[in-house]
Amino acid sequence: MYFAGIDIGSTMTKVVLTDQAGKLLSFIKGPTGAEHRQLANEVMRQALGQASLKIDDISYIVATGYGRLNVPFADRQITELSCHARGVSSLFPNARTVIDIGGQDAKCMRIENGRLVSFVMNNKCAAGTGRFLEVTAATLAIRLENMGYISLKATRKVSISNMCTIFAQQEVVALLSRGEKLENILAGLHEALASRVATLARRLGVEPDLVLTGGVAKNIGMVKAMGEILGCEILVPEEPLLTGALGAAILARETHMKAAAVGEGLSTKSRRLEKATFFSQEQ
Amino acid sequence: MSDKSTGLNKAREIYLDSSRRARELRAAGKKIIGYPCAYVPLEILTALGLVPYQTCADMKEPVTEADRALPHSFCPVMRNCLDRALKGKNDFLDGMVTTHSCDPQEKTARIWESYTHYPYFHFIDMPITIRPEALEYFKGQLNDFRKTLEAFTGQKLSADKLKTAIKSHNQQRALVRELYELTKPSPPRLSGTEILRVVKALTSLPVVEGNDLLTETISEVKKRSAGPEQKPARLLIWSSTLNDTDIMQVFEAKANVVMNESCGGVRPFRGQVKLTADPLEGLADYYLNEITCARTFRQATLGETRKDYARDLQSRFGYLKGTIKDWKINGAILLLVRYCDPFAFEMPSLQDYLKGIGIPNSYIEYDYTIGALAPMRTRVEAFVETISR
Repeated sequence: MYFAGIDIGSTMTKVVLTDQAGKLLSFIKGPTGAEHRQLANEVMRQALGQASLKIDDISYIVATGYGRLNVPFADRQITELSCHARGVSSLFPNARTVIDIGGQDAKCMRIENGRLVSFVMNNKCAAGTGRFLEVTAATLAIRLENMGYISLKATRKVSISNMCTIFAQQEVVALLSRGEKLENILAGLHEALASRVATLARRLGVEPDLVLTGGVAKNIGMVKAMGEILGCEILVPEEPLLTGALGAAILARETHMKAAAVGEGLSTKSRRLEKATFFSQEQ
Repeated sequence: MSDKSTGLNKAREIYLDSSRRARELRAAGKKIIGYPCAYVPLEILTALGLVPYQTCADMKEPVTEADRALPHSFCPVMRNCLDRALKGKNDFLDGMVTTHSCDPQEKTARIWESYTHYPYFHFIDMPITIRPEALEYFKGQLNDFRKTLEAFTGQKLSADKLKTAIKSHNQQRALVRELYELTKPSPPRLSGTEILRVVKALTSLPVVEGNDLLTETISEVKKRSAGPEQKPARLLIWSSTLNDTDIMQVFEAKANVVMNESCGGVRPFRGQVKLTADPLEGLADYYLNEITCARTFRQATLGETRKDYARDLQSRFGYLKGTIKDWKINGAILLLVRYCDPFAFEMPSLQDYLKGIGIPNSYIEYDYTIGALAPMRTRVEAFVETISR
């Protein structure tokens, strides 16, 4: 008996497969791209190949993330908030707060007994999300994955006054032309982003242990800045992009086990790895 | 589906083409008066043979023309409303009435007047508190409103005519409440989306036609066997205005919306206008005191120096408690249209109140565009997941 979680985020698509005991068998991360409807089946195929499984071997599949409605072979859709909370608490049983910063949104979640109890998300805007860093990296012509390391060399933090992604770029360009050092600008940008997300988290109330996930958690400069602003240790999973898909796989297993325990049959979708057609999963 | 002659289907048709009836009536010689907000006393219009028509915003319509007149960081509902008017979508109106129910309405009053050129325009100044002096002042404002309409129509407004109109509108309020009674069972007998269409239809029909539609819909729903399916949560939506089925369907994909506490739902219909000797007195009292919109500053007591927060919350939100209990509501969505200050400032206290009575809630802000619906869906579904285990 095997279970799958598939997380289609705005930037990355992630798949996690587990066995009957909930043990991780394989995972895949790939860019979502513009046509995520066409991609879900491909990443699932790769994950299955890695684990030497067939799609028919999977007892239950949960889809999550923005593209969760476009996975024709998923048996159930659960939001990324519940999935992240579940995934994180499986890795960090003492986690009470999760901050996930993804490509197009930032969310803060509170966990009790391994479950999501409350959350806040940023409003529709790139400020305070991974996109902010992506755009900045492009403006500065540096690699996204190097940003954090470069910022650690800063001798001072430049203050960035505007958190609008577009206006902040203008500010960065102005700072560069004034001769400000790249590492100091980056340290300032990380601090600006971290304080924006921290404000969001404080609306919900921050309680340790605090876990940071999402692509932005791979940025060491951001982890440092978040720790300084929130004044507590920031825990980061080994694969911070995967907690949503992992949570989805765990919830798939739990849904299946719960139904089996009461002798209830669960309806599942066709196990053909077909491409989704437009809006086929609505309702 | 049943045939088109049923109340629910009629409501759906009117919802999709809300100005059709107003255009027909105008062609037959009636005068149509637009209003943007539940604070305009429709009884006075009805009593003088005028047809009230609510000029709603439309989320699907990108705002372009209104940008000539209004800044971007301004109530998107009012911007959208004015935009539609400037695009000629309300060209069947003979007049427009706005009130000082909120600043965006007050600030746009002259813009409406100078950009739209309807034969009749009137602005009703509304006090922001419910103190006795405020009521006196507001009564004077309604009297002015009456005078301008008398001049416009060339008719006198007699107390009898006004009382008859009040009775018709009171009947409408009672019928809407009866309709909401049908969402009490589990699963509800009709969906939040179905009610929304009916209520929106009412705002574009003469009161008597609206009452017929309600009567027909209520008896149809009572008789039908199939209603909405049961969902894992029974929600109350608290908002300034929620009158678009696309938003309602975001909620109803995962929950039953059994109460729409907004101007597109039960809010304009909760109370009854008292039939006072001078009917304007009853109207002033109803519109100032009884409509539970965040724009009004309510104090538990007047002239006391010691303030009691719990009692203050009770006086501001107490009306929700019975509804939450009777409709077995287990979650509330507090939906805020961006830049709506009166509702934004009310949120923290309302959240305190709901916490006090043990009702989980989720606060969602959006910018009144369809682009906001996908993130809204995630928030709503996650909220339902937290309350429906």
